[in-house]
Amino acid sequence: MVNIIIKNLTKKFGEVTAVKNLNLEIKEKEFFILLGPSGCGKSTVLLCIAGLLKPDEGEIWFGDKLVTSPKHDVYVTPQERKVAMVFQDYALYPHMTVFQNIAFPLEVRGVTKSEIEEKVKATAELLGIFNLLHRKPKQLSGGQRQRVALGRAIVREPKIFLMDEPLANLDAKLRVRMRVELKKLHQRLGTTTVYVTHDQVEAMSIGDRIAVLKDGILQQTGASKELYDSPRNTFVAGFIGSPAMNMLEGNLVKKNDTVMVDLGFSMFELPTWIGEKLQETKESRVILGFRPEHIEITKKWQKNGIEAKVDMLELIGRELYIHFTVGNKAVVGISRPTEDVKIGESVWIVPQEEKIYIFDEKTGEALI
Amino acid sequence: MKFPRPRRILLYVLLIFFAFMYVLPFWTCITTSLKTEKDVINTVPIEPAWPTLMPWMDALGIMERPLLNSFIFTLFATIFSCFIGSINGYVLSKIRFKGSEMIFLFFTIGIFIPYQSVLIPLLLTMSRLRLYNSIQGLILVHTVYGIPICTLLFRNFYGEIPDTLIMAAKTDGAGTWTIYRRIVLPLSSAPFVVAGVFQFTSIWNDFLFGLVLARGSEALPASVALANLKGTTTAFWNVQMAGALWYALPVVIVYLILGKYLIKGYMAGAVKG
Repeated sequence: MVNIIIKNLTKKFGEVTAVKNLNLEIKEKEFFILLGPSGCGKSTVLLCIAGLLKPDEGEIWFGDKLVTSPKHDVYVTPQERKVAMVFQDYALYPHMTVFQNIAFPLEVRGVTKSEIEEKVKATAELLGIFNLLHRKPKQLSGGQRQRVALGRAIVREPKIFLMDEPLANLDAKLRVRMRVELKKLHQRLGTTTVYVTHDQVEAMSIGDRIAVLKDGILQQTGASKELYDSPRNTFVAGFIGSPAMNMLEGNLVKKNDTVMVDLGFSMFELPTWIGEKLQETKESRVILGFRPEHIEITKKWQKNGIEAKVDMLELIGRELYIHFTVGNKAVVGISRPTEDVKIGESVWIVPQEEKIYIFDEKTGEALI
Repeated sequence: MKFPRPRRILLYVLLIFFAFMYVLPFWTCITTSLKTEKDVINTVPIEPAWPTLMPWMDALGIMERPLLNSFIFTLFATIFSCFIGSINGYVLSKIRFKGSEMIFLFFTIGIFIPYQSVLIPLLLTMSRLRLYNSIQGLILVHTVYGIPICTLLFRNFYGEIPDTLIMAAKTDGAGTWTIYRRIVLPLSSAPFVVAGVFQFTSIWNDFLFGLVLARGSEALPASVALANLKGTTTAFWNVQMAGALWYALPVVIVYLILGKYLIKGYMAGAVKG
């Protein structure tokens, strides 16, 4: 197993810069996620690691081996990189049986017939597709194809796994199950894995660490808890967590020792721990953020309560999503299904003091 | 049952007329080929007479060697041009390199070059290569001039093979040639049928190259031999017609065998898992 180091990676397609000056270190045996909306450059990074794309600038290291560097004219071909890749469309060879598909990477490498037979069978056993070995991909369901693609990747014991949205084509239920299986498989094999997805729930559930990308630029790297608890900017704050974090714009106002956000329709007094951190910050436009799960709803005015009108209720099993209008902005809250609110009613929402975020409106950067 | 309306009747009449126009010459050809010399003169062309196979035997006697010539060079040139087209198509659609678009453009231009414009230089080249009036020469010329259209056909077809399949094969450790042999080629039955039938018929039917590049009997193609049946002083219509039918036979057989796959091939988006 090896670690992967990416230094100053830049890849352009014509005029479009898909990845810009990316720096990442993926640790040995880590399950690392590249997360971002479509077109953020995450798949491009993966293809550069695989050697299927040549970057314009930067270096990629596998352990202490330099595999890509346009500057030093180093480029190890994908065939020699000892990485295995799983694609969103599975990319199974349609004319080969499951056995032949899984055997292909071994055959190409000149492994003996008996060894191939042994390894393919062991892999098929591991993935629960032993009884499918003689079928063609066409005769398999989505989940089965997914397993065959995984089998083809793990059979040759690669140093690195690369996965490009491998669960995106599965239905929701199967996706949750395969997610768990992937995680288990990783724990068992311990192979360094880079996994691309646009689904933050998937990312948070299986990733050891997550890198969030937007427009080819790295926004933040960290464990899922870190990204959830302390997003570095409004993009990460909005992307991680569902429903997304509520954000209200306002003016930062300082009076005596208190720091407040003037939301226009109401003054929001920031708790002292935030106030202390904002001592150096000038009065300016800011964004007040709080997550839907971190609010209280009251029928009477409370300190720091924000008046809100209930627009819509969504009962989702054990949770109730409440959609409010605050000023002219939409705000979402999550509450118990037993919460006593009616559509059209006016209530007060009180964000929990210790779960408040302040961002600079202009740059989107977190100020605390 | 209601009697069809007048507009319908008009339509049927028109369609029957077209069908009649289409079939009539072929019918005439068949009836004439089965007539004796005397019946040809004494009967109306479309009227069948007491059948005889003599014109067929006579025509075969003259056309035997040219038919064999044509069959050999058509077969080999078809196989060669299809394989080269397939490799070209693979490279141009799956391995992008600097200038690949430009090269493809040149190939497409190659399709539209009128053969008449190259005849004299081609003749001189072939004679310098000592390939004038030889089967090998005809194989070479038909292969070379078949490559552009085959390249186009295969490239378009390979555009439908997902790039991820090639990428997967690369990370699996397969080189360019292995990918072609193990992945691309086995998925190519549809374009091989389409390109194969197309090449077989157009090379078989070629007259111009055969006329210019062959003389005497060693390499004479059937298309030219057929034209020669006309004779210089008298016309043996029955033998000519029989010769024409002999000449048409291989193409008909190819269509009968491969027609089913041909239609599939034209419709093919056949590689989706």
